[in-house]
Amino acid sequence: MVPEFWPEFWYGLPVFVQDAAWFVLLLLPALVTGLVVVWSFRPFSLVWAMIWRYRWTNALFVLLIAISVGLGVGLIAQERGIRQGTARAAEKFDLVVTAPGSEVQMMLATVYLQPVDVPLLDGKTYDAIASNENVALAAPIAYGDSFHESSVIGTTAAFVTHLSGDLAEGRMFAAVDEAVVGARVPLDIGATFTPAHGVGDAAEEGAHEGALLRVVGRMAPTGSPWDRAILVPVESVWKVHGLPLGHGPEREGQIGPPFDPDYFPGTPAILVRADQLWANYALRSEFTTDRTMAFFPGAVLSQLHGLLGDVRQVMSVMAVVTQVLVTLGVLAGLAVLIRLYARRLALLRALGAPDRFVFAVVWTYAATLIFTGAILGIVVGMAAVGIISKIVTARTDILVEATLAWPEFHLVAGFVSLTVLMALTPAFMALSRDVITDLRS
Amino acid sequence: MSLDLQVRDLVVRSREGRDLLTVARLDVPAGSKIGIRGPSGAGKSTLLFAIAGLLKPASGDVSWGEHRISDMRAAERARFRRENVGLVFQDFLLFEELSSLGNAAIAARYAKASTRRSIVASARAGLARLGLESLGGRRVDSFSGGERQRVAVARALANDPAIILADEPTASLDRASADRMVDDLASLASESGRTLVAVSHDPALHERMDWVIDVVDGRPLV
Repeated sequence: MVPEFWPEFWYGLPVFVQDAAWFVLLLLPALVTGLVVVWSFRPFSLVWAMIWRYRWTNALFVLLIAISVGLGVGLIAQERGIRQGTARAAEKFDLVVTAPGSEVQMMLATVYLQPVDVPLLDGKTYDAIASNENVALAAPIAYGDSFHESSVIGTTAAFVTHLSGDLAEGRMFAAVDEAVVGARVPLDIGATFTPAHGVGDAAEEGAHEGALLRVVGRMAPTGSPWDRAILVPVESVWKVHGLPLGHGPEREGQIGPPFDPDYFPGTPAILVRADQLWANYALRSEFTTDRTMAFFPGAVLSQLHGLLGDVRQVMSVMAVVTQVLVTLGVLAGLAVLIRLYARRLALLRALGAPDRFVFAVVWTYAATLIFTGAILGIVVGMAAVGIISKIVTARTDILVEATLAWPEFHLVAGFVSLTVLMALTPAFMALSRDVITDLRS
Repeated sequence: MSLDLQVRDLVVRSREGRDLLTVARLDVPAGSKIGIRGPSGAGKSTLLFAIAGLLKPASGDVSWGEHRISDMRAAERARFRRENVGLVFQDFLLFEELSSLGNAAIAARYAKASTRRSIVASARAGLARLGLESLGGRRVDSFSGGERQRVAVARALANDPAIILADEPTASLDRASADRMVDDLASLASESGRTLVAVSHDPALHERMDWVIDVVDGRPLV
């Protein structure tokens, strides 16, 4: 019966202690089994002799277990790393206002720079947002152009600072033909380029011929697709498209807000940052209308993660089932492998070794392979996670820093306990063999 | 306690029910050296395994002194062997990856903690007695056949048994090594008053025995 103080006591413990306690608890069946089986005997040098005798076969078994464990823990760690990476990439985007449509699609376009053709928000909408007393930042995000692999985004200097803080190199754009590049854009300060209309394969290289932009600064890394983007004044985007530049004649040449609604050509999205948390909710409510859609990218992402969370649980179960199946296969192999040692085990029994000792030798042998495989599996998992994280980061520009954490260690501990208990079977099978037959084999 | 061997009306059958060995009566006084010989398949090794308690007879009795091993459960027979019997096999049956001392003192790995030291000391003494003292730390996979069989004998002696049972101990050895093995077995048995029962085709070994039993068609001609 659980004592009354238990929940309070448990939840009062630091998370690290709780995780460590779970780890020990999950590993406990293996440790207790080991203690009970090996108690009062010294089987280890015999076990080592058995392992060494068929070392390549045993190494193959260990490798199979290691790969199985490595894939399992790697899969879980990677999923968490991607979830954290995507969340980190979205955390600067408090509230986004776009034309009505799919929140997911708009989030992908605005936060992760996967542009789509969308209706533009007009100057009145922008002005209504920017002039709201609770709005600290209202930045147009005008996407649709590109240079090679980089999206060219029209925005404001305040947004650049909001996104990455102080520049890593150079200075902020101050003229319509200047640009600040993301941390991973392969353009040096002083380099010039002409943006193409559109992105990817659909980009029209000559559409903006004559427009020459010069790189004047480089952002600090953000760990998001914005590291691969080129940020220019929004006026620059309007200019290359032959549109008004957002300011009346009396402010010709101005870069950045305030914008004149009558000369504001439009923007696909507006990033909004309120000075108070509650104000974000008020703004979302205010700008969720027939003509505009306001949404929290974090909330949309959370819904997506929730959806993926179910997939993750299925994946976790599959990872465990896969490992158990592999281990069952390995144990079946071990049962066959034990036949290679049948004569030596028969010798021990002929010499008068207690059955419990022979049992301990076989179980310790199997448990050693499992433990070694599991530990090696953690190493394999860490290596796999490191490599896959680099690949995902390179392909998506979302910084994925996946590392192994307690859930993976819990999985490995549970796996080890389950399989060393299953390893009792080949140990029992070894005892059922006929001594004389094996001695004569 | 004197461990005289008494076998009465012993019948050992195969799984298929075929009679493998029939012994009406066999008495071996403690301290005797007995050779067993006969054609291949005659039942020599079966007799040895039966008196070692390695197989359960279909009927009859096998007793060593007051220990009626034919009535014992497997665990009790294992304990009897552990405490009273040293076994030597034709092809040594060593753990090749262990040292000679590791093999000779193998019983220390499953013995009670209180007897481990004496087993290791006895194994060390046995190796020295058999001229293997200097090879104690080397792995046996580098040993010659004669050296391996002497390690096996040292292992058989490590628990200071009253009975040594040897199954073709010289069959895998060259003549010189076989002669030395015969000397070692005979003198080790004589010196300590141990009972030695050796199955062998080797006439040199039988010459050193007190008497020899011929086994023909599963029946010892006593």
